[in-house]
Order: sequence, then C-alpha cells, then structure tokens
Amino acid sequence: MTAQPHTAAAIPEAELHERIVKYLSQQLPGATDLRLEGIQRIAVGWSHETWLFDAYWQEAGTARNLGLCLRRDPGGTLLRHLSDLDVQFQVLRCLEPTPVPTPKPYWFESDPDVLGAPFLVMEKVPGVCPSPWGREGRRFYEDAAARGELPLSFTDTLAALHNLDWEAAGLSFLGVPGAGNDFARREVAKWRELISVCEQPPDPVMTDLLCWLDANAPETERLVLVHGAYRTGNFLVEDDRVTALLDWELQVIGDPMYDVAYVLSELNREGSELLSYVVDRDTFYSRYESATGIEIDDEVCRYYQLLYAMRSAAFWMSASGLYAAGRSADLRLARTAWSVPTVLERAARDLGY
Amino acid sequence: MIGVDELLARMAATLRQEIGPAVPDAYPRTQAFMAAVVLEKLSGQLRSAAEDARAEQDDLRLLASDLAVQLSEGPCPPELSATAAELAGPEGRTALSRFIEALYTSSERLGPARFEALRARVRQTLRADLDRQVRYAA
Repeated sequence: MTAQPHTAAAIPEAELHERIVKYLSQQLPGATDLRLEGIQRIAVGWSHETWLFDAYWQEAGTARNLGLCLRRDPGGTLLRHLSDLDVQFQVLRCLEPTPVPTPKPYWFESDPDVLGAPFLVMEKVPGVCPSPWGREGRRFYEDAAARGELPLSFTDTLAALHNLDWEAAGLSFLGVPGAGNDFARREVAKWRELISVCEQPPDPVMTDLLCWLDANAPETERLVLVHGAYRTGNFLVEDDRVTALLDWELQVIGDPMYDVAYVLSELNREGSELLSYVVDRDTFYSRYESATGIEIDDEVCRYYQLLYAMRSAAFWMSASGLYAAGRSADLRLARTAWSVPTVLERAARDLGY
Repeated sequence: MIGVDELLARMAATLRQEIGPAVPDAYPRTQAFMAAVVLEKLSGQLRSAAEDARAEQDDLRLLASDLAVQLSEGPCPPELSATAAELAGPEGRTALSRFIEALYTSSERLGPARFEALRARVRQTLRADLDRQVRYAA
C-alpha cells in the first residue's frame, strides 16, 4: 500500500492556482481580469500548507492589487486534533483591531470542494521569518539582537498580547479556565488526549511526567491570551520590528507564565545565552514585568517548561505516529520517533532523576 | 551472513554519500538524507535490541521484587500491589505505566514519605530505561 502524503484532495499546482483565482473573483464582486503573481509555496508538510502571492485585478476601471497568504488544512497533519483553521480565522478576526500585530484575515472557506480542503486567506504581511534552527537564522536574530531593536519589539509584542483585554476582544470562545489550577490541568488533559489518539503503547517516563504535571499544577492568578508557541520563527520581522505574530494554532486563555516559560526554555536557545536567540534575560525580565505588571515566577515557569517537554514528546509521538500509520510520506516525521526519548530524558533530569 | 544492523548502516551510508548528493531537487534530496538518518538510528537500536530487552526484563523483575518488599511495610492500596505483581510479566512495561498512575492516585493514602520512597525506586528503573534509549536515540 502506498502511503498518502495527506488526506486533502491532490490537486495539481496549476489547477489549484486557477481555483484560487475563481474563488477570489467570487469574493471580490466587481473584480475583473483577476490574476495571481509571485506565487510561492512555503512551509510544506509539517502543519498547514501555505502559499503567498499577489492578486491583481481591475475594478471600475481602476487597477487594484492585494498581497495574500493562503493556508490550507491538508488533513492528517501534526496537531490535527488541536488545531483548526476556522478557530485560527476567528482568533485573527478578534485580534485585528487590537495592538497585537497579526495578519488581517479575509476569508475562511470550509467547503473542501473549493481547493480540496478547508482554507483561510489572510493578508501577506511584509517581513521575514527566518527559522532559528539553522545557522543563518540564528545569525539573523543574533545580529538583530546586537542592534538592539528586535529584543525590545519581541518583548513588547508578548507584553501587548498579555495586556490584551481578551474578553472585550471576543476571545472567550476559546474557553475560559476556572479558578485555581484549572488551566494547567486542562492543558495537561488536552495533551493527554493527543497522546491517546497516537495509539502508541504507554511510555512509563511519559506517564510519570504526566502524573507529576497533574499533581503539581500551579494556580493561575491572572488569565491572559496565551500564544502557546511564542518564539523566534513564529513571527515576521521587518526593520528589526515584529510585524506579525504567526502560527495561531495553540492559543488559549491561560497563565501568562505559559508563554514566558517558552521564552525562557533552553529548548528554544540551544547554545545561545540569548532567550529565543534574540533577547538577554535581564532585558526581557525588566521590560516584560514593567510593561505588564506581571512578576515572572521562576518556579511556575519551571513547571510550564516541564509541560512543554511533555508537549514536545507528545508532538513527536504524534508525528512519528502519522508516518507509521501511512498518513504522511515525509521521512522527517519518521525521524521524530527518536526525539521522544531525548526530550523525556531532559524532562527526567529536570524532575531530579 | 551480514547482520541486519550492519546492512542498515551500510544502506544509510549509501543514501548519505551516493544517492542523496545525486538528487537534484531539494525536497527529495532532504528525504534521502533523512532516510539515511532513520536507517542509522534503526541500525543502532537493532544492534543493542536483544541486550536492551534482557536488561529491561531484569530491571522490571528486580523492581517488582523491591516494590513487593516496600509495599509490605505498611497498608497498601490493592491496585498498587496487583499492578506491582504484573511488572515481572510479559507486559511489564505497560504494567509499569499503570503502576505509576496508581502510585500517584494513592499518594495521599500512602503518605508523603512512602510515596516518595516508592517513586524514587520506580524512577531508578525509569532512569536505566532512558539511558538505554538515549544511547541510540541521541
């Protein structure tokens, strides 16, 4: 049996472009001679498929154009049980009038007949998004850190996110945790669910980690909008400023230390003194605390760093499970089977064994 | 006859040195190199598989025996002793996960000192298991 790369209908790239033109023409009444230019397909394989392009058209005798980004849900991807394009679209809509820099969302289409799978169309925001996992990307962030602007913008953007009045922005639909340690326990339960759908035999170290996380869930004093993966590589940068926060796949109403712990995590700065390869610890602490009035609690961050370790292991279990089940033909996913013990070993050391 | 682990290691070398560099397109070239990585990991895992399986069984038997002694030193929730007895069986690894779940669930009944002592003993086995896995996974 041949493994299928994904469950979305396989549509040749040229036909897909034609279908996008047809769809956009329907969304832009009065548009004629619509065409796409500069089409780039990026971020192939791991999560949602993404295309960037410029749409040009005529409207009432005037030439118009719009830079667009289209994300399609290929189905059967990583985080497939946690991430939904419809939710992403709603979150972007809620964030549009707020100080949090995000791409303007235009359309969400749930009908798989249009492009073979549900998709959303949003603004193509100017900026670059180098991956911090490669040498070039790290150099980009370290050079920007030396110039001094990006570390401040990085910190200010997180502060803006955590200062957001999420209720007023209409984000309560994400689910509001109860008092006490409800948030942390909900998060653990959510990832337990992902692990259970991986249908892999239980791993005793993972079981210990999950039980420890449940037993030691901290109380949340202030609820904020948490991005869930706030680090370099998940936002666009132009002129040393964050122009758009991307990857709205794991956002949740919860503890601000959840995001702060991710910034502090060694997983996101291997071999660098700079948090997330871009900001020094003192600058981040003082600027974040002063902008939000939230004191960073190192002990709570330690808890969330262990939760991230569990999340990473669950993520790799899900990835390798997709390959093993024949739902992906991408060998990078198969490789992640051996990332599970590596992440769990680090968590075990943090737990003292 | 050549061992399977050695065969996989040689296939990995061929993919890395001969096939990968000859593939012109970026995505399939990355996949060829990734196939080499996967085969190298599999080769390492297979090389120590029999020895690791024996070590795991020995560790679980010893754990079952130590836990039986520890659990007999005071009142013991029945689900703990029942699961501990399964550790030396064919599904020992799965039983260990169940024992850990039961241990945390019983923590209040056990009291902090006994809970900590039992968990420390379990974690000794978990550490040995991790050390074996990391040898070929890292």
